[in-house]
Amino acid sequence: MIEIGGVTWTYPHADHPALRGLDLSIARGELVALCGASGSGKSTALRLINGLVPHFHDDGVLTGTVTVDGVVTTDVELDALGSITGTVLQHPGRQFFTDSVREETAFAMENLGFARELTRDRVDRTVARLATWMPPDQPLRHLSGGQQQQVAIASATAHEPRVVLLDEPSSNLSPDAVARLIGALGQLKSAGVTIVVAEHRLRYLEGLVDRVIVMRDGAVDAVWSAAEFRGVSDADLAREGLRGEVRSADLPSAPATGPSIEAGTGAGEVPAGEVPAGALELDAVRCHLGGRTVLDISRAVLRAGEVTAIRGRNGAGKSTLARVITGLQRSSGVVGLDGRELSRGARQRASAIVMQDVQRQLFTESVEAEIRLACTDAAGDLDTSAVLASLDLDALAQRHPLSLSGGQQQRLVVAAARVAGRRIVVFDEPSSGVDRRHLQSISNEIRRVAADGAVVILISHDDDLLALAADRGITLVSPGELQATPSAATTDAQTMKETR
Amino acid sequence: MLVVSVAVMSPSGLVFVPAGIVLAVALAASEPSWSRVAVLLASAAIMYALGWILPVVWPNGLTATIGIACGYLIRFVAAFGVGAHLVATTSPTRLSAGLRAWRIPRAIAVTLAVMLRFFPVVASTSAAVLDAMRLRGLVGARGFVRHPVLSIERFTVPMIAASLRASEDLSASTILRGLGSRRTPVTLDPPRFGWPDAALALAVAALAAISMVLPSPLAEGIP
Repeated sequence: MIEIGGVTWTYPHADHPALRGLDLSIARGELVALCGASGSGKSTALRLINGLVPHFHDDGVLTGTVTVDGVVTTDVELDALGSITGTVLQHPGRQFFTDSVREETAFAMENLGFARELTRDRVDRTVARLATWMPPDQPLRHLSGGQQQQVAIASATAHEPRVVLLDEPSSNLSPDAVARLIGALGQLKSAGVTIVVAEHRLRYLEGLVDRVIVMRDGAVDAVWSAAEFRGVSDADLAREGLRGEVRSADLPSAPATGPSIEAGTGAGEVPAGEVPAGALELDAVRCHLGGRTVLDISRAVLRAGEVTAIRGRNGAGKSTLARVITGLQRSSGVVGLDGRELSRGARQRASAIVMQDVQRQLFTESVEAEIRLACTDAAGDLDTSAVLASLDLDALAQRHPLSLSGGQQQRLVVAAARVAGRRIVVFDEPSSGVDRRHLQSISNEIRRVAADGAVVILISHDDDLLALAADRGITLVSPGELQATPSAATTDAQTMKETR
Repeated sequence: MLVVSVAVMSPSGLVFVPAGIVLAVALAASEPSWSRVAVLLASAAIMYALGWILPVVWPNGLTATIGIACGYLIRFVAAFGVGAHLVATTSPTRLSAGLRAWRIPRAIAVTLAVMLRFFPVVASTSAAVLDAMRLRGLVGARGFVRHPVLSIERFTVPMIAASLRASEDLSASTILRGLGSRRTPVTLDPPRFGWPDAALALAVAALAAISMVLPSPLAEGIP
């Protein structure tokens, strides 16, 4: 079905090839997992199969041939390859073109010119199969990460391609959403579709996968059959930089009460006299957006020097809580630090957020200037070069921040927050799509910020990261929501629509 | 929206501005988006006050300059007001289906649909960049007055970098799903020109006619 013969590919303006002499043959109906550390070339291999390599990147250099279902990918245009392949990119939310489940599912069939009746019938069936219980006219941006993933799969498969490609589909999913992903993959497989999944986490694929291909430096490093893969130990996976079991992080609860706190997770009240020094306190914090209560916390205490995880489904108020704490969002109630009430402005000056898209928060033309900018709002003048050396960034001092890798950018933002002496530091989904080694280094960064004495808040779905980096946890629910079932989500969405 | 933009932006377009603002307010009220109604009315009032009343009440070089600027900017209030309604209510699919039904060339239809899809991306990215700047103490009137160019640069560079990254995923996914290909697309739900559209078209025509017949409140005043 898929034949990759001796392919070497260099991205435009890159120094080294991303793929070096890759040879791969995938049979019809096979489910193959491509894995390997970040930069091993697994995503590039997927882009080779759907033709984004080389068609989407002008001036890249390709040698070797790729054949998909008898079609040589360099001979045809992208829409021809798009009609025999279906692709789900890593961030489903970013690939949506339309506003609703139904429109998005129909998008490829409309553009590829399928007959209207056929499209209508296929869309209805695909939505019923993969995106059940989601109201078909629900705005896509209001769906949870797992629901967006289901819609992305529906949208990539409604035109019934013979090959389906998924790039790290589990990276932003909670465990129950991973279960739904397994269901969707199983359906596709039993329909005879050839499936290639690029992944860091592998264990969830154990019952489905026919072959696991480990990549390293742009070539195949090891191949495990399904039986061999079941016998591979967690230590072997670790050596390849791969994540093993999805760990479940059982964290002790942070003291928190109120309608926004999931029943049974808050650790109750902390008497006013017993609040530890430096802690962040929330009292009667309520936030309304668009006529709806999105956050309602009676009381919560987050300790300094500890990492508190904030968990909960999309729309449960996690980012709202972070924005209230950092002073970016108005709310009623009192937010205090170290026993003193802080105004919104004071909280903005005391806080930092490490965003999921870190390039949104790099403002200067060099790494050194970025640190110097952070120093200007620190108490005294600091020796920039010494700071850079201590953060292991001195080799990069003159580089433009936007030219760094994602991991380096993240480290720079964390460094700026530490240099500026911020006492509240929020990490927003810092580990989406990283391999095992990077997971460890991110976790070390987070721990170091906490060791400086800051109140650290970690918003994440990634149980692997939470198990490594978090000390306590709070699970949020949307206030007024009775239970976390699909029907509750539907009613919730309907109310939201009515109030809009 | 295109009609309104062309009308109000043309050299003698000021006569159409009151009608454009009335249309924009009516569209916002129909959604209903009361905050936009308020913003539109307030900005139109401010523009009118600064552009037409102030230079008469207190004539000097500065107010004349502000007057000319506002006389020009009030056109944008009308155009943006109508544009905002389109962005808020129309999905890219419906827009491209509509344009296709009008036999608009594909290159233009796809470009407009992609632009429409991209407005929310730019809006959410800008909001996030501003949040990040606020936390770094980079937002504030004092800093802006002292280093206006630097402040703008600090906002635009990350905004464009992050938007470009988001756009790469979007274009890869849409091209693979056949957007802009040579095939003839088939619309799932073909747009119908129904009575609300007819009523809207009539209203627009009536507003335009009224603008041309009645003396414009904005006619004099512009030096």
